[in-house]
Amino acid sequence: MNPGYMVEVANVNKVFHTHHFLQRHEESGKRAWYRKKTVRAARNISFGIRKGEIFGLLGPNGAGKTTTVKMISGLVRPTAGAVYVDGMNVDTKRLATLRRIGVVLEGTRTSIWPLTPLENLAYFGNLRDVKGPVLRKRGMELLDLIGLKDKMNVQVRHLSRGQKQKLAICIALISDPPVLLLDEPTTGLDVQSSRSIKDKILEITRELGKCVLVTTHDMNVAQELCDNIGIIADGRLVACKPTHALIDYFSDVTCAFYLDRAADPTPFLGIPGVLSAECNSEDGEYALVLRLIRQEDQRSAALYAIVELLKNSGRLLHGVERRKQTLENVFIQLTSGLPPATGD
Amino acid sequence: MGFFLVLKAELVRTFIIMRRYWFATLTSLVIGYGMLMGLILGFMARRDQVTEMIDNRFGVDPSSATNAALGLIIGSFAFGIIGIFSQGLQNMARSGQLEQLCLSPHGLVTNFLARSLVGSTASILTSSIILFLVAHSVEGRIYADPLPVAALLFLTYVDLIGFGFMLGGLVLLFKQTGQIAVIVRIALLGLAVWASDRVDTGYAVLDALVHILPVTDAAICLKHVLIRNQILLDTGQFVSVFEISSFYYLVLNSLVWTAIGISVFKWMENWSRDKGTLGSY
Repeated sequence: MNPGYMVEVANVNKVFHTHHFLQRHEESGKRAWYRKKTVRAARNISFGIRKGEIFGLLGPNGAGKTTTVKMISGLVRPTAGAVYVDGMNVDTKRLATLRRIGVVLEGTRTSIWPLTPLENLAYFGNLRDVKGPVLRKRGMELLDLIGLKDKMNVQVRHLSRGQKQKLAICIALISDPPVLLLDEPTTGLDVQSSRSIKDKILEITRELGKCVLVTTHDMNVAQELCDNIGIIADGRLVACKPTHALIDYFSDVTCAFYLDRAADPTPFLGIPGVLSAECNSEDGEYALVLRLIRQEDQRSAALYAIVELLKNSGRLLHGVERRKQTLENVFIQLTSGLPPATGD
Repeated sequence: MGFFLVLKAELVRTFIIMRRYWFATLTSLVIGYGMLMGLILGFMARRDQVTEMIDNRFGVDPSSATNAALGLIIGSFAFGIIGIFSQGLQNMARSGQLEQLCLSPHGLVTNFLARSLVGSTASILTSSIILFLVAHSVEGRIYADPLPVAALLFLTYVDLIGFGFMLGGLVLLFKQTGQIAVIVRIALLGLAVWASDRVDTGYAVLDALVHILPVTDAAICLKHVLIRNQILLDTGQFVSVFEISSFYYLVLNSLVWTAIGISVFKWMENWSRDKGTLGSY
């Protein structure tokens, strides 16, 4: 256990067993009376989140993001490994750790729809031992902070999806927990609502000094919001770095050579240090996009060889660009094992 | 302290919803009143034939109209409490509220105790209103002494929650237990209507089994207090609930079922955490 972390996930594994009766086998097509399936939702996942930090957990559908959030909040028990919140083991001190966590899981379903936002906050506040004037004051402050004060007496069923999502965040914060877990807080929201939620999360984290874990599919949200990012695929944490480091790690290897006509990428693959090559047509120009090895000396040699090859082929070189990597490209590369599609 | 805060939260939530959806609350009262009045008036209109028929067939107390009506009310009470743990829990899982309750630092048992207590109080209140209206309509032929009835209803509630917790645990694990829960609820309703002064099926094992089931002794005690009290007005005799064995069965049953129910529920809650089904639908 690392004392510097507010939330620590240490070598966590989760295996689910499902039981099926009279189900047809996916490959053989044969029906069996009974079949047991095993799903490994988490494989040796380890990461930590410090106070005042926003940690993004990215991954494709079914990668294990929500399972990880549920393991931190104690809704799912790890098969092996341990989760610590504020130094306490979630499995053995579950109720005590729940006092330090605010969770938003499928935010629009969190609240009680026949009640108003204020009544919801009173209800969930009482469930978390907040009462009296403190509850009312904190409720009003949160509604004001999140921008729902004018809707505080409207039944939740009349609110929009974005407003329900905002209310879910208020509910998670009503007991002023030091840790906030947000499972896909911007899914299904329009651009404005998504931006608004993102801004509010930033505001809350910076102003209130919370430790936040966000799972999301939205790369823009992750890139703009998160200090650190973990990418999860098939239950494995394939990358876990500060956001800028994760992007930098890939950004210095992709170069585009703008040419007057198309070039066959095959000869370039023979140059030592060239990892991949493709030629695209972009705005009337042809771009030869090459991924190069990270080592500087080898990359330099490769670049000279590329220019030489282009010169010998008689093509006009209009320009060279080192491409800025986006988190989306990094994500796709890490989760699919394919070279990233580059973009400006 | 924490339990009372949860209780307060549940109380406020329940009564806000009852007030906000007043039409639904009112119509359920009217329907309850109508059904009960129909039953009682039916018995009254054909009292001689019915009691003769029942006497011939079953040899039960002639106050069978009251017996059946009370059985229906007690059965509905049991139906409602078990429903909070079965269908109620299933609906909460579907709406997403269950996940929030699972994340409460008080734990699911405390939350469900509070929720069922408030649900039962609301049920007792509506049943009392219906009973009062029915008693008024039939010119006081049903008499209810509030204090012993309230005490017995509380014992009935305790008797039922253990059973409810066990069913609730099953719902946490499997979710699709709707039909089993419906069968159990209908069986309890039937048991409450059927149980009169004493249990005598003719088979000792069956008698013991019926006593073990929740609601049997609760129904016997409640009917005893309510019906004998009614007789008290006519004969001047007082028959105490402490004189019947069912009261002691009820107390014992309440303690045993609650302990078993909560233990099984906690075990199933942990199992559902392993399975990953806690809180989700």
